[in-house]
Amino acid sequence: MIKVSVNGEIKELKKDLNIKEMIEALQYKTQGFAVAVNTTFVAVQSYEKTTIKAGDTIDILAPVQGG
Amino acid sequence: MKNEKLAIINQYKDEWEIGGKTLNSRLLIGSALYPSPANMEDAIKISEAQIVTVSLRRQAAGENTGNHFWDIIKALNIHVLPNTAGCHCAKEAIATAQMAREVFGTNWIKLEVIGDQYNLQPDPFETVKAAEVLIKEGFEVFPYTIDDLVVAKRLADIGCKIIMPWGSMIGSGKGLMNPDNLIAIRKQFPELKLIVDAGIGKPSHATQAMELGYDGVLLNSAIALAQDPVKMANAFRVAIKAGRLGYEAGTMQERTFASPSTPTIGTPFWHQFN
Repeated sequence: MIKVSVNGEIKELKKDLNIKEMIEALQYKTQGFAVAVNTTFVAVQSYEKTTIKAGDTIDILAPVQGG
Repeated sequence: MKNEKLAIINQYKDEWEIGGKTLNSRLLIGSALYPSPANMEDAIKISEAQIVTVSLRRQAAGENTGNHFWDIIKALNIHVLPNTAGCHCAKEAIATAQMAREVFGTNWIKLEVIGDQYNLQPDPFETVKAAEVLIKEGFEVFPYTIDDLVVAKRLADIGCKIIMPWGSMIGSGKGLMNPDNLIAIRKQFPELKLIVDAGIGKPSHATQAMELGYDGVLLNSAIALAQDPVKMANAFRVAIKAGRLGYEAGTMQERTFASPSTPTIGTPFWHQFN
């Protein structure tokens, strides 16, 4: 198991999960969001080839109101 | 003037272009702070705004219920302008813009990089840095900046076609703090699209911005925090049209002294003041 930060919360994940697997494991919605790892955007096409590493900071963002 | 010509003036339909889109409204409206989603929807509709600002925030895990807010916005069928609100450096703003492009399906981005937590002033250095990268990546950047001519120059130099100086601090409702600064930017950059963004508190502030020759006004709190947001949205719709018409009509020159408007020839009981 590895520890990562997801949307500001520390989570434990199995080793070597990719972003798609992480989204499923943490039960996030499967569409309508975007992901950044360590403040770097990861396009949806790259989810399966991006492996989450221990200590990564992951942001999963969805539409909200804005000014 | 012939009645037909007056009728044409009365049917005046403003048309302008920004970011490759042709619009009839010069109001860019925010989607935050309304008392309810239904109230937001009504306010946006009555405002006749064709651009609405939206944002991105962390999604909670286990929320598989859809996104009611985003469904409402999509159904309005108007242009969406995502912002990078909350970003404090170019790196964060660039990542947020890239995420927004994927989620919202638009290359428009309201670039907002805050430099100070007390007055939420945009950081001009980080804004220019982020804008340069985003323009190279094909974004249409709507940079939110201070009302500073040199910052506007830097943004124009790197290829910004749109610049959005603040009227005053975000959410302050103070109106246009430095109209002379805004006039200087307008005069120096007649070819750019200029939008006054932030600080508008009441319809007359928006009218004033339009009378200065600005192409549009972006506001949120002034409508959403009004006692009656829907009525206020309608007020801003009219105020922005009035300001634009006033600008196009050309305002009179200010005078130092009084000048009577009623003819003085034939004045009855005329006498000279000593």
